[in-house]
Amino acid sequence: MSNRGNVKIDERTVWEKIADQLRSRSMWMLHYCTGCGAVELPPSMTSRFDLERFGIGPMATPRQADIFLITGYLSVKTLRRVIYTYEKMPDPKYVIGFGSCTINGGIYYDSYATINRLDYYIPVDLYIAGCMPRPEAIFEAFTKLMEMIRKGEANGWKRYKENYEWYKQNQLRSLGEVIIHDEFHE
Amino acid sequence: MMSSTNNIGLEEILSSLNQLFEGVSTEKVDPRQYKIITPPEKTIPVLEFLKEKGYSHLSILTCIDWIAEKKFELVYILFNWGTGVTFVVSTYVNRDNPIFYTVKHIWPTAEYYERDVHEFFGVKFEGNENCEKPLILELWNDLPPLRKDFDPLEYSKKHYPDREYQKDAIHEARIIRGDVRGEIDG
Amino acid sequence: MGEVKLFFGPNHPGMHGNFSVHMYVEGDIVVKARPMPGFLHRGFEKLMERRLWYQNVALIPRICVPEPDINEACYAMAIEKIARVEVPERAQWIRMIVLELARIANHLWSFGGIGGPTGMYTSMYWAVADRDRVLDIFEELSGARIYHMYIVPGGVRKDLPPKLEDKIYHLLDYLEAKIPEYETFILKNRILHTRLKGIAKIDTETCLKIGVTGIGLRATGVPYDIRKVDPYLFYDKVEFEVPTATEGDAYARISLKPKEIIQSIRIIRQCLEKMPSGPVNVKIGEGSGLRIRVPRGMAYVHVESTRGEYGYLVVSDGGEKPYRVAVRGASYPQGLYGVEHLLPGTRIDDVPIWLDSMGVCAPEIDR
Repeated sequence: MSNRGNVKIDERTVWEKIADQLRSRSMWMLHYCTGCGAVELPPSMTSRFDLERFGIGPMATPRQADIFLITGYLSVKTLRRVIYTYEKMPDPKYVIGFGSCTINGGIYYDSYATINRLDYYIPVDLYIAGCMPRPEAIFEAFTKLMEMIRKGEANGWKRYKENYEWYKQNQLRSLGEVIIHDEFHE
Repeated sequence: MMSSTNNIGLEEILSSLNQLFEGVSTEKVDPRQYKIITPPEKTIPVLEFLKEKGYSHLSILTCIDWIAEKKFELVYILFNWGTGVTFVVSTYVNRDNPIFYTVKHIWPTAEYYERDVHEFFGVKFEGNENCEKPLILELWNDLPPLRKDFDPLEYSKKHYPDREYQKDAIHEARIIRGDVRGEIDG
Repeated sequence: MGEVKLFFGPNHPGMHGNFSVHMYVEGDIVVKARPMPGFLHRGFEKLMERRLWYQNVALIPRICVPEPDINEACYAMAIEKIARVEVPERAQWIRMIVLELARIANHLWSFGGIGGPTGMYTSMYWAVADRDRVLDIFEELSGARIYHMYIVPGGVRKDLPPKLEDKIYHLLDYLEAKIPEYETFILKNRILHTRLKGIAKIDTETCLKIGVTGIGLRATGVPYDIRKVDPYLFYDKVEFEVPTATEGDAYARISLKPKEIIQSIRIIRQCLEKMPSGPVNVKIGEGSGLRIRVPRGMAYVHVESTRGEYGYLVVSDGGEKPYRVAVRGASYPQGLYGVEHLLPGTRIDDVPIWLDSMGVCAPEIDR
């Protein structure tokens, strides 16, 4: 399910097209377990399902990562860190909403602590439905994302720049502030 | 496995509770679980007494909101590693101005349970200086969420916008299942 | 040298789950540490009050992600205690099989997890792949890999599928042959040995004072196990041992995991042998279908999870929904109080090992 379906005429230069071809073959996935879907990632990455054959591996720092997997529900407390982390990632960057909770709140639709719709706060390129998505669904999503990158359709990061004011306003509306404080209360 | 202090029989502890502390009532839940209801001023002496008798493990400290009776019930669950008996010690505090006393001098971990209870019910614990610091929630500006008069769905609707669907899929599913009558368009 | 404020997690390669520790460090020694939980807070205790007794079965496995079955078991047993219902014998044996399979799965999971902070990824590749074999059994049993929703109030959802028993036996044989390999190739491996020996040491007195249970306590030489001390289901009818170690360090805690798996295998074998045939669930409370009413009352039920005592306090006011459910996460004491008071003095690079070997599990702290 691609977001908003705003397929434009391909405006990429030849060099960008070549770059996108190469990008789709080597993607680093940010190691950030934002929710319970992260429990299916180690099985996908290790010997049984082996994610590396798709050219995808885990990456520790957001500064060097390409894919940001939002694995499941997002509490507002995590959303502050997610926005902070997303903005730290260099372009081009791709976001996958993992599980039903990112689409419409899922089983937590009436929770006071979790958000109901992820693409209201950060742009999402692809959603995986289900609770929780199986490793096969994760592969399906990744191959789809690779195809989207090759076609130049995965441009959530461009939308974030173009509609920055709108996203910022939504973030402030739900979160109050996006600043992160420490636990010392000094 | 048993130390000398917890060799005292269960019957003996229950009868001495009634003798030593006025107004304490005991109730059998099952052969290895008893509920003890104490008046607020006797709770801490009862807990100290039980800890001396081998009930040294504080499983959890939590709270129940009895809104109709206008009371908060504070629950201390004690476990004896020697005999495997659980005591559920509870006391009632006033709901309008909920203040109780800390037990962190008896069980250091209680400091965090008390912070938890303060955050979710608004009960203050005298003697616990960290009690009012936020722990799990961040920038919370509403009623303590586990109080019965707090409505999470309303809060969620106000703060976290829902996804707008073009058609009501749940309603259509009901029609297909035959729960309600109607027509499906498209 | 001055003190530096450091935010450790939630996005950190050494951090397991979504948890954070904020600390002051001097050089690479932690001087002051504060836990920061709450990233996975979904308000379960509130949501449970808004759903029917049976609807909650779908909700609660999500409280503890790697080992969901203990939630269902605690919740179901607490309701049965309030309603004073006796569960059919076969259902109790099946519950034990499910709980022990979940214990094996989670021990393998956390055994693999230690690969991250120590840099010994072999353990992760082996253990996670072996865990998948257990998940395949679960998939056949319940239809799902992670969240099974198999144990329901009154028994279990349905009887074991045909030929599953043979597959479980086959799995147990496989694991029994595999565990010695874990001990030889992973536990005796120099990387793991050097990295874990003497790290994150904790003594019995501290454990009992702050309420650490499970492997954390047993690694200091105290054989406290809720399955032995306060037996639930039929744990008093099976034979098993409680493995202990005396060192109380990270290595002792990790090395107990394969030993516990061996005991779980022993328990499952006995369950499969002793299990009679018969019904697997019984009606509970008043009312019809899924809209049941549970009589007024309050009960606390705890089980031994892989990280220690895991408990549910369930309160009913006689209605269609629970009045209050409180969850005691097994890693609450070490994850909050333990981090604040025991972490200072360790080095930054040992912090992930500390958190991992003590079994700090964020979702059950945050709820």
